[in-house]
Amino acid sequence: MALELTPDAPSGAATRFKQIADQLLPYLIAVVVAFIVIGLVIGLMGFDVLTAYRTILFTSFKSKNGFVQTLLKFVPLLLQALAFTVPLAAGKFNIGGEGQMLMGAIGAAIVGIIFADLPLLILLPLVLLASVLFGALWGAIPAWLLYQFNMNEILTTVLLNFISFSLVDYVAVELFRDPAAGHPTTVPIGAGGELPLLISSPPLHSGLILAILVAAAVYIYTNKTSAGYELVVTGANPRAAGVFGIPVRRLFFASLVIGGMLAGLSGGIEVAGSHHRLIEGMQSNYLLLGIIIGLIAKGNNLAVPFVAFFIAILEVGASAMQRTLLIPGEMVFIVEALILLFVLLSDVFKKR
Amino acid sequence: MDQAQLTNFAKLVILAMVPYVLASQGTMLGGRTGIFNVAQEGIMLVGASVGFLAAYLSNSLLVGVLAATLVGGVFGLALAYFTTTLRMNQFVIGLALFFIGLALSTLLFKFAIGVTLRPPLVPTLPNIAIPGLAQIPFLGEVLFDQNWLVYFTFIVSAFLYYLLYQTSFGLELRAVGENPKAADSLGVNVTLLRYGTAIAGGMLMGIAGAYLPMVYTGTFTEGIVQGRGWLAIALTFFGGWRPDFIFLGALFFAGVEVLALRVQVIGSVVPYQILLMLPYIATILVMMPAFKGVRAPAFLGQNYDREKRTQV
Repeated sequence: MALELTPDAPSGAATRFKQIADQLLPYLIAVVVAFIVIGLVIGLMGFDVLTAYRTILFTSFKSKNGFVQTLLKFVPLLLQALAFTVPLAAGKFNIGGEGQMLMGAIGAAIVGIIFADLPLLILLPLVLLASVLFGALWGAIPAWLLYQFNMNEILTTVLLNFISFSLVDYVAVELFRDPAAGHPTTVPIGAGGELPLLISSPPLHSGLILAILVAAAVYIYTNKTSAGYELVVTGANPRAAGVFGIPVRRLFFASLVIGGMLAGLSGGIEVAGSHHRLIEGMQSNYLLLGIIIGLIAKGNNLAVPFVAFFIAILEVGASAMQRTLLIPGEMVFIVEALILLFVLLSDVFKKR
Repeated sequence: MDQAQLTNFAKLVILAMVPYVLASQGTMLGGRTGIFNVAQEGIMLVGASVGFLAAYLSNSLLVGVLAATLVGGVFGLALAYFTTTLRMNQFVIGLALFFIGLALSTLLFKFAIGVTLRPPLVPTLPNIAIPGLAQIPFLGEVLFDQNWLVYFTFIVSAFLYYLLYQTSFGLELRAVGENPKAADSLGVNVTLLRYGTAIAGGMLMGIAGAYLPMVYTGTFTEGIVQGRGWLAIALTFFGGWRPDFIFLGALFFAGVEVLALRVQVIGSVVPYQILLMLPYIATILVMMPAFKGVRAPAFLGQNYDREKRTQV
């Protein structure tokens, strides 16, 4: 049921290096094969394959703007991936990161708009806290349904996504509508709720640092603390964990709530950092990418940030490719799904 | 609501039932041998896209339905291969197939049609009144003056019920989902049955997807499935993994969908956003008691390794 988490076995530098190389090799092969497959398709469609490759892989590094765009994509992707991997460690599938993110964004926007006059030192923490709490609530509903009724969490988390879409619409159209915007959008939050910028042009907000700190905390929690160890043990074998006195069902609950908090924070950061308002459709496809990242990283929270960064590069490249070469950006989504499939397959063949 | 309105409403509910029933029977079929497909949403999207494109390019709705059946079957085959032969995690593979379906549906449409301001259209499925039966007051008009996929759905559901509960083959099939080791020891080909049900299930989901452009929109759009695939999983649990209860349960799902649209059109004091949430909230509410009472196949979502001594 659960994915195998990679153990951190302490050992000598040489064996350690070999271990890492052994783990990276399948990834490398997966990426190369996925690109070959997609290159064939792009070539058959009559596009220039090498230009397409170059655009996908190097747009992020060709300009300062491209690199900042990549970092801005990296932040929500990282948090979404963690919102998936933390429950995954306990063997639960959180497919509700999208709804939790939107709820976080709603919480952040409501607080940021109502208390718009408060100074930065008070408003910004409130905005972020609201996003975490709203996300936690949206994670707690499926958690409760699982705890109380044994209701499949894949199902409930997905259904809550659809409910959150309508809630966003309600807040952006009925409650705080910005009449100047054509698309359902709220009025901006107070200036005190905006995340300070690290670089002003192109704007890069400090949510990046926050996200990295949170990722580090999550890694320490799941891999270095006994509470996190209980979570992993539960995921590996719930029955055995129960025998050893671990409150399995309560951990399922907690893992989904933590997932909700992480996804909620990603929504809060998008509002406080990037948009400064709630915009319908702002969730983009972060949920799906987050799940792909979590699965490619095989639930290893140390690997998640690196995979997330790689996927952010691909995503920025994909939109550049769509703009300049008119190759549909969904092509890159196929690349990502293929990488996932090949990484998973490599496990199967390693076992044989 | 007068008689004519009531008839019309009931007719719309039957019309809206079809994708739920087909996708859910497909889920049930795989689940009965232990394969828990969670790629419905993706398979339905591909079915809608491929079904529409094939129908549009060949000028024949039947070709569209067949193409969607085929592509759904391929997804089912992939699911069976990765989970039954390679024994990879069913949920992970299901999600991966969901992603691929999602991306492929839009990609194929963009490649075949390109970006156009005026979407290409296929005619919607015509109603075929069944002589004699359609003359029955009320029920005749509601049930027997519909398009052929509605009749197909009736027949599939009845057939699956007969197959599962009236034949020894059905007994073997159910046994695989309950205890594959015991079934295996009695000479039932577990692998074959898992492949068969996964493929057939995928086919039904593909048809469920193709139904949407052919009945509602006339064209393919990215949001066409709108969570119906996920709701179909809910319906499967709600229907207790039984073809008959799934069919009846779909009345509820379709009823809520039609009702929410209805009230939106008529207008009400309730904001429309609340109405849009209604199907999802109603689903969660009805699932609460359903999940307590219902027993899913014991081996649902688990792979069978005949060389292993114990199965968890």
